[in-house]
Amino acid sequence: MDATNDMWLNDLTRKREKGPTLHKESYSEFSDATKAVHAGQYNDPNTGALGTPIYQCSTFYLNEASYKAIEEGRGRDEMIYSRYGNPSQWSVQEKLSSLEKAESSIVFSSGMAAISSTLLAMLDKGSHVVSSRDIYGGTYNFLYEDLYRYGMSVTFTSPTNIKDIEAAIQENTKILYFEALTNPLLKITPIKDLVALGRKYNLRVIIDNTFLTPYNVKPIDLGVDLVVNSATKYLNGHSDLIGGTVSGSRKLIDCIWPQMLKNGGSMDPHACFLLERSLKTFALRMRTHNANALKLANYFEAHEKIKRVYYPGIQSHPQHDLAKSQMNGKYSGMVSFEIEGGDKNAHKLLSYLKLPKEATSLGGVESLISLPYNTSQASLTKEQQKNIGINEGLIRLSVGIEDIEDLISDFEQAITNVFKKELVC
Amino acid sequence: MLNNINIAGLSEFTNEVKENNNEGKASYGITLDWVSGTKTKVKTKNMVLGDHKIVRDFEFIIDEPSQLLGVNHAPNPAEYMLGGLAGCMAVTFMAGATAMNIEINKLKIEIDGELDLNGFLGIDKQVNSGFPELKFIFHVQGSGTQEQYNQLIKRVSQHSPNFNTIKNEVRMIGALQTEASLN
Repeated sequence: MDATNDMWLNDLTRKREKGPTLHKESYSEFSDATKAVHAGQYNDPNTGALGTPIYQCSTFYLNEASYKAIEEGRGRDEMIYSRYGNPSQWSVQEKLSSLEKAESSIVFSSGMAAISSTLLAMLDKGSHVVSSRDIYGGTYNFLYEDLYRYGMSVTFTSPTNIKDIEAAIQENTKILYFEALTNPLLKITPIKDLVALGRKYNLRVIIDNTFLTPYNVKPIDLGVDLVVNSATKYLNGHSDLIGGTVSGSRKLIDCIWPQMLKNGGSMDPHACFLLERSLKTFALRMRTHNANALKLANYFEAHEKIKRVYYPGIQSHPQHDLAKSQMNGKYSGMVSFEIEGGDKNAHKLLSYLKLPKEATSLGGVESLISLPYNTSQASLTKEQQKNIGINEGLIRLSVGIEDIEDLISDFEQAITNVFKKELVC
Repeated sequence: MLNNINIAGLSEFTNEVKENNNEGKASYGITLDWVSGTKTKVKTKNMVLGDHKIVRDFEFIIDEPSQLLGVNHAPNPAEYMLGGLAGCMAVTFMAGATAMNIEINKLKIEIDGELDLNGFLGIDKQVNSGFPELKFIFHVQGSGTQEQYNQLIKRVSQHSPNFNTIKNEVRMIGALQTEASLN
């Protein structure tokens, strides 16, 4: 009898490895700014060109290695077809994995593609998700409207009160899905407590880290199973592409990959190039977003015409202590605040501002400003908005990387104009 | 992919368990509710594999043929047991064949056994209430040799969980919980 006849499963030798990758340099020993520049960059061996070329192709020459990979079910580690994998995707995925401290990542054509594929891959028939009632509207719609159609369900609860979250766990709960920082009231999910709850009930914990990014908090370091991001926001940072990411262990990301193949939503090579290039300045941008936001938050806090400021980095934030321990002094680039005089004055303020652009989305180099009542929370009635804390005059500001003195003086002139007494002739 | 089984994934899982034994711990359970007469309904409990829950939202009906006082709505307990045995033997056979790089075009397993209901009915205390023997036949068509198939069947008898549950003695730990009757 030959060796093949006597082999069993314990004789199989392939183990999971980080990646997929074209090289082995993860830059894991370096800090974020260095990783952002160097990790995942595939210099061109043919021409010596520095930087990752744009591999704008849909398919690849098949060879013995690719046929063998298909046969053995490891198509994720070979170049076969761009929906399966492409060097431009691998390059930016490696950079993201390095920044997230993850074994593996996948990039998607949008944040919602990342979120829906991740959830569908992780859920079983009949399973249940516990999530936050403050969750992003797109995610809310997927959880509330679509899970039911797949025979699954969701309970929305507090993003901050761990006892409420525990009370929402059912026998069939499989996933705890929360955002590290919520929109627009910037509530902080206690990630360590959430992870402890997941371990207690054998659940997986998924965190949407779009508002904070791995620069401000690394959920995987805190024990989270999977972290998703809308790359459209801070990761890309230039308001010029739509994208999404998921990062985690190679085991779990390998479970999501076939779901991505079925759902579609893979990222185009040109978008990968833009994202990888943008990420080179990621740490630099985040440093400025954070610093500018903290200064603006303090400016608003001291201003007599601003009723309330929502920012984790100031003492009046109800979870400031948690922010200090969980975010290590990096409190995000988002600030929300309520202006005296309600929505009418909020609209006026936006019209007087020269620098922040009145637009939805966030995380761009330019400051973006919008009112939650007629954008992200527009589907709710005034009463419902009030019940979840969307008060009259609430404004959400994504603080850009402009000079802080210019931003403050722009707000100063705009607020002054809002409250300027009209001359009666 | 071979036989629609991901060999790389099988190998990665095997080596994960090799490195962390806990990842190979799988807890199962069912609950059964009596419906009426001989008819019952089984629901699968959630599994825990390693440290993580897998939701098992499945149920099935069990009944007896009318000749055995049922209404013949579903397979009976003996048939489910034999089906569960055959299903487990098939998984084990197919995983092994895939690891051995054998392409299988057809696999059918027959299991036959005879119960003597004198034992169940209490007529003869000397009679074993269970199956005294089970005969199984593997019908296989594929790229393997006779010798490889025989080796695989030997491996099934060594590694199939359900085969070994039936073949070996199992500690049966029972308990009773009563509830107050409704008046």
